[in-house]
Amino acid sequence: MPSGSAARNLFVLAGLGLLALLLAGAVMGVIGQKILGLGDGYVPRPEIHLPPQPVFPASVRDRHLGLTPAKDHVEEPQKDADHKEGTAAKEAQEGEAHSTPLPIMQFAVTNTLLSAWFATVMLVLFFVLGSRKKSLVPGRFQSLVETLIEAALNFCGSVLGPEMGRKAFPVVATIFFFVLFNAWLALLPFYQFLGFTKDGEIKAHLLRSAGTDLNFPLALALISFVFVEYWGIRSHGLGYFKKFFAIGGLLRLRPSGLIDAFVGFLELISEFVRIVSFTFRLFGNMTAGEILVVMITFLVPFVAVEFVFGLELLVGLIQAVIFASLTLVFLSVAVSHQEH
Amino acid sequence: MTELGINLPSLIAYLLNFLILLGILYLLAYKPIIRLLDQRAERIRESLAAADQARQEATSAREAIEEQINEARREGQRLLDQAREASDRFRSEEMDRARGEAEAFIERAHTDIQRERDAAIQEVRANFGELAITAAERVIRRSLDRQAHQELISQVLEEGGSASGNGRA
Repeated sequence: MPSGSAARNLFVLAGLGLLALLLAGAVMGVIGQKILGLGDGYVPRPEIHLPPQPVFPASVRDRHLGLTPAKDHVEEPQKDADHKEGTAAKEAQEGEAHSTPLPIMQFAVTNTLLSAWFATVMLVLFFVLGSRKKSLVPGRFQSLVETLIEAALNFCGSVLGPEMGRKAFPVVATIFFFVLFNAWLALLPFYQFLGFTKDGEIKAHLLRSAGTDLNFPLALALISFVFVEYWGIRSHGLGYFKKFFAIGGLLRLRPSGLIDAFVGFLELISEFVRIVSFTFRLFGNMTAGEILVVMITFLVPFVAVEFVFGLELLVGLIQAVIFASLTLVFLSVAVSHQEH
Repeated sequence: MTELGINLPSLIAYLLNFLILLGILYLLAYKPIIRLLDQRAERIRESLAAADQARQEATSAREAIEEQINEARREGQRLLDQAREASDRFRSEEMDRARGEAEAFIERAHTDIQRERDAAIQEVRANFGELAITAAERVIRRSLDRQAHQELISQVLEEGGSASGNGRA
């Protein structure tokens, strides 16, 4: 068949092209350049910032980045080799400046917060467009959105039972979709090249995956925590706290009361430790993913990073599932009847 | 805390962001979509039940129709038998009646003939008397000539014979 052979030819051609790009990346990247003894590579050394950078208002950003107010504007990065050499020394001192985090009480719109807003808008658009027509016989997009909702609803129902699953569904589904959209949207190319520059280098990206800002997972973890405790108290009343303060046996001077009290204390601790584990699990995964993307791009440019993107798609999905399903599991533990 | 990038206003912003997102999605997506899914499930359940019912109805209707057809077939057979029987009876009755009529007709013809013959004989007998008397009168008035006498008698007899022959025909 002519079309079959044409498709095969195209496939082979694309494969060869990718292989060539991979080789070129290996040669032009830092690794290849060092091995060949040619220099430092063509891709500038990336700077890794752990805390998010403020982007608005401009005055906070300028002070944070060490920029003069006149120079700042959004533009794509230009590979400007001239400025790079001369500013090496200055960078060292400014490195301190633009990686120091905001003071704990100062408000600024950070790039991570901005990308959370972006994800929010995209999520709302996605669901509103999907549920706009409300026809009983759905089209393709409506069908997709409904399938997602139904799958999430069934998952909630399978963990908590149909009735409680419906009550928990909105919060759990929102956590899931918010985390997922934040992770996946951050893989879009313009997250990497939109930014505020100084001397031709991006000092602060306009958008940065919200998961790399500790405040985002922390906020979700707090939501999850409050949600779980709320339903625990609501379904057991004040008896819910008996699980944590099991001092009944101790007051009756039974020896086993000591163990009960200690177990209760552990329960109490674990309840709060969840916040920390939730926070750092998501933060760690998202941050590691972003660093990995940047570093692979630096070491072997062009094609090699695609595998990392594939990996990141998976990691984003897994983290969203984990965050939502752990919330569900903790919720089911909190609302289930305690054994004594 | 600050080194990790924890920033209270950011935290609050994320919390608000989440709550607003939750509210919007709940009102614009979750609630309508779940209602729609429930509606659809309900509709499908109803449709299945309706289809089941329709199938049962069709089955029972088919049975009823078959029953009716059988009934009609039996009825038709019965009517056919009845008609055949009626026609047979009618034919035999008609034949009997025709035969009876024919016999009656023949009978009546016989009696008519008999009666007319009797009347003719009666008439001949009456005419014969008169002829005898007439002949006697003539005999008396004329001379008693043996020859003439004999002629007269034969003449009278001839007249009477023709008269009785007329009556008999």
